[in-house]
Amino acid sequence: MPHPRLAIPVYDVGMSGGTHTKSRARRSRVSLTAVLDEFFFIFAGIAAVWLAWLLLTESFQIGWWGILVAILFWGLLAYLVLPRIHRVLTTIYVPDYFIGRTRTSDGLLGDPINLALLGDSDQLHSAMRAAEWTRADPVTVRSSLRIVTSTVIRRSYDEAPVSPLFLFGRMQDFAYQQEVTGNPAKRHHVRFWRTPEGWLLPGGERVDWLAAGTFDRAVGFSLFTLQITHKIDADTDVERDHIVGTVLSHNPAARLRVLPDFSTGYHSRNGGGDSIRTDGDLPILDLRALSIETDGERSQVEAAIRGADRD
Amino acid sequence: MLIVTEPRKRAAIEPALVLLERESSAELPAKRPATTVLGAVFVLTRALAGVLWLGAFLLVWPEIVAEEGFDTEEAQLGGWLVSSVSGVGIFALFLLAWLIWRGSNTARILVMCGLTLSITTSAIGYFAMGEEITIRTTLMVLALDILVLLALSSRDSRAWSRRRSRATTSAGESPARDGAG
Repeated sequence: MPHPRLAIPVYDVGMSGGTHTKSRARRSRVSLTAVLDEFFFIFAGIAAVWLAWLLLTESFQIGWWGILVAILFWGLLAYLVLPRIHRVLTTIYVPDYFIGRTRTSDGLLGDPINLALLGDSDQLHSAMRAAEWTRADPVTVRSSLRIVTSTVIRRSYDEAPVSPLFLFGRMQDFAYQQEVTGNPAKRHHVRFWRTPEGWLLPGGERVDWLAAGTFDRAVGFSLFTLQITHKIDADTDVERDHIVGTVLSHNPAARLRVLPDFSTGYHSRNGGGDSIRTDGDLPILDLRALSIETDGERSQVEAAIRGADRD
Repeated sequence: MLIVTEPRKRAAIEPALVLLERESSAELPAKRPATTVLGAVFVLTRALAGVLWLGAFLLVWPEIVAEEGFDTEEAQLGGWLVSSVSGVGIFALFLLAWLIWRGSNTARILVMCGLTLSITTSAIGYFAMGEEITIRTTLMVLALDILVLLALSSRDSRAWSRRRSRATTSAGESPARDGAG
């Protein structure tokens, strides 16, 4: 096998490349506002802690209205104060290189990376569609409203967006999911990230995509952030094997290889405070032999899937 | 479309300055974030409240003049002084609101300076002078100040207005594509 990377990678130091002096000059100009920004970021966090304390003491003083103020206190704490504190602290102490874990938008450790893939994006989309997975909508105001309405009127929303998780400093490129009939709280879902050009897994293996697949088993309180969120099933290996199984059974051209003990068997907690158990094996799905359908065929397949969903 | 970036390698020991700059290279939101909208709307609300206050002042000013026994010249001078000073302030607030909406980083930082001063003043009053902050007094104003500071200092808001400012200065004019989606 030829070595996938021959040249030493050059890491971008400036915003958009350029000579060293140029990027250095730009950096020093950015730094001043960056320092101010960081000050305001931390100051706002401290001020929010104070505000939460004021609200808490106030809630004891004003009788029954205090219950409303106490709910406000929880909302402030869970959705503004704790995320800000987590953000400040995780920037300092959570390593930002690849450790086989994703990070939440607050910088906490998220779902484990438990699947790798080879192939281009067309092959990946085609394989997932064939395996009866539905692509998740991106998080927008509209899709968020649709989640609320579909929960209230109990209608299924099988393209419901998934929350953002971060790898290589960016949000997932896309996500796929499978609904569990009759239960909006449960679903299979898997997020995909394209690996950077020339990037190798620890150990030197080159893969095109990394994925984190977990099973949402219920809606509940997060342990670390006190937010209402999906709780994931602790045994992430079951979900990993489910994804691999569905892709292999619907795509005869797909091949499987396993890196045994890629992440040594561990148990831990994700950003929502759910525990995680895994045997540490990393399956690599090779989709490079998949022939991609033409656009016409693809839209036919999509129409067929949509039609089947409506029935 | 996929934007493939190089992995950011971290040294074992890194200078604090690197931590400050890390976020600027992170994912840049294309749309105007909700936090920026909130900040702009808040500054606009402050400006409108200023207009209301000025209107109310001009209405009751003749009564004050009659009560205090100012002569015509004093009354005119006082009225002109108050309305011009607050007029400039209100104009500045409108301008800041519009600039934040457009994505000016300087306007965002100026407003955050103002909010920080206001919050610090309340905090000194509360901790050092024993002033009460309850729902009946100034809790709502303080809460709004802190929430808007949280919004304007958020990563989304920061990344977006930094990129907008950079695009504006490098192009020498307003960017071709408006961020509103």
